[in-house]
Amino acid sequence: MREDLRALLLVTLWDVRKVARYKVFLLMRFAWFIVQVSVFAVLISYLVTIRSLGTSGIGYYEYYLFGAYTALLFSISMFRGYEIAEEFEEGIIEYQLSLPIKRRILAIGRTIGGGIASFIYTLPMMLFILLLLGITNPVLIAIAVLSALAFSIGIVGLAINIVFGLKSGDKTDILFGVVDALLVRLSTIFYPLPFLSVFPPYFYAAMYNPLSNMADFLRALFFFQDLKIFIHAPPENLVSYIVGLSVGLSILAMLFIERRVEGGGWK
Amino acid sequence: MEPAVEIVDLVKRFGNTIAVDKLNLSIYDGEIFGLLGPNGSGKSTTLLIISTVYKPTSGDVYVYGKSVVKNSDEVRKYVGIAFQEPKALWVDKPYEILLWHAMVVGYSMSDARKVVRQVMEDLGVWEYRNKMFSELSGGNKKKVELAKVFIQKPRLAIFDEPTAQLDVITKHQVWNMIEDLRRNGSTIIVATNEMSEAERLSDRIGIMYRGKLRALGTPEELKDGIPGGDIIEIIVDGPVRESFVEAIKNDIDAVRIDLKDAVIRIYVNKGEEKIARVVDMFSRGGLKVRQISLKEPTLDDVFFYYTGAKLAGDNN
Repeated sequence: MREDLRALLLVTLWDVRKVARYKVFLLMRFAWFIVQVSVFAVLISYLVTIRSLGTSGIGYYEYYLFGAYTALLFSISMFRGYEIAEEFEEGIIEYQLSLPIKRRILAIGRTIGGGIASFIYTLPMMLFILLLLGITNPVLIAIAVLSALAFSIGIVGLAINIVFGLKSGDKTDILFGVVDALLVRLSTIFYPLPFLSVFPPYFYAAMYNPLSNMADFLRALFFFQDLKIFIHAPPENLVSYIVGLSVGLSILAMLFIERRVEGGGWK
Repeated sequence: MEPAVEIVDLVKRFGNTIAVDKLNLSIYDGEIFGLLGPNGSGKSTTLLIISTVYKPTSGDVYVYGKSVVKNSDEVRKYVGIAFQEPKALWVDKPYEILLWHAMVVGYSMSDARKVVRQVMEDLGVWEYRNKMFSELSGGNKKKVELAKVFIQKPRLAIFDEPTAQLDVITKHQVWNMIEDLRRNGSTIIVATNEMSEAERLSDRIGIMYRGKLRALGTPEELKDGIPGGDIIEIIVDGPVRESFVEAIKNDIDAVRIDLKDAVIRIYVNKGEEKIARVVDMFSRGGLKVRQISLKEPTLDDVFFYYTGAKLAGDNN
């Protein structure tokens, strides 16, 4: 057990230690995010007016910020898939499969490590919007951080399943593009759910979309009273979805790697 | 002797290609086993199955009694492999790669630092420890890959073409380190294309060709196994009668005798045991021997014989 925990920690570190290597990438994403939420979000919030909800003036701007953050967290978590694809091409996966580590530990470690790394990439962005919104409640911030981490781990689990399943750079690129486009668009990232009811397929796709659940949970966490008419489920349901997603996709990655994955075959 | 590795009816297919075809082989505990074969003969695939990176299509491999199919987690505790192609990302740094590896194979942080430094110094790559992997020469990349096994000191150490891309001095150094590893209790498998490497290191050699094991034995056994592999070459004064040649052929059970002018080539098995008899027969036949030599087959000859491979332009 102790041996397994040690191995898990080391495998997790494999991904986490890479964060420092992408300083420029991180800086560019952060700069772009600042522009997005400081300029474009303000402009678009002028275009979208929510009739008075009898609240403290919370409007589309606040709604948009959590959507933008969730979309970013999703994209960066999916980006782990491209990194793993690169590792396949360089033979790193074969090296890791040969190490004295249980396959399930390898799978869980890579999923958690990838999730933590992706979350760390987006932490400055999260802190920035919390700063913009003047949120200082440490308990709520801690819950937001943990939920974002759980979401990130789940999405990395999804990416690992796709990459290990396809074992093809071209197919990975295409499928990731499709998944990214569909999940970001068919969600409540930028469009509140009640407005989607005119297109029932869109409405239901958005309701069960992981990005909708994550973004809506963050909205509910900080502005439940103000934004509750846009949020399709109580916060406890939303967070259960996120935790379920994280655990489910991690277990799927674990089973897949343990039973099916072998080296070679990468094109 | 107890087998460290037992390969039983092993088959590995990639689509319609059979990489390993009903392979049966035992590798003994504590030996250095050389796996020879041309490119695409199934050597690397076999090693990757032993190290649990590939799964067998059918058959099984037992490493110290543990099945790679049923107990792959257990097998990996025994095995360390240095891959043919070094495995690292271009942005990785050798010291970070090896420190992480050392900790994964069980060292504490402080011990890991010590052993990594020691092995990197032994292989002459300590000065490159903080360079990016992509900046290293091919030889230094290979050394970093080899260092993983020397750090790990596994019970079963596998080297896939360990000295490819290395200079002569480093080759000898690596061979010495492999021998040290064996002296410290590891069983070693070395896959190679280089006959000199196989001969220098191996207690036994297996020759693979098209997924099958074509020959198995000590280097001496393999050389002796080639019919007429030894050549006794004699230069005499004066003519040699055909009947005399025929008599020698029958007496020492030669495979073939070529006679050209004053040079006689006798193709025979175990020439070292028959050379004295040949000299005696020439002496009794009244022929003055000016020069006599015994040429044993090299492992190259063995390799060509068992694989049926020919060098370009070689019609012999």
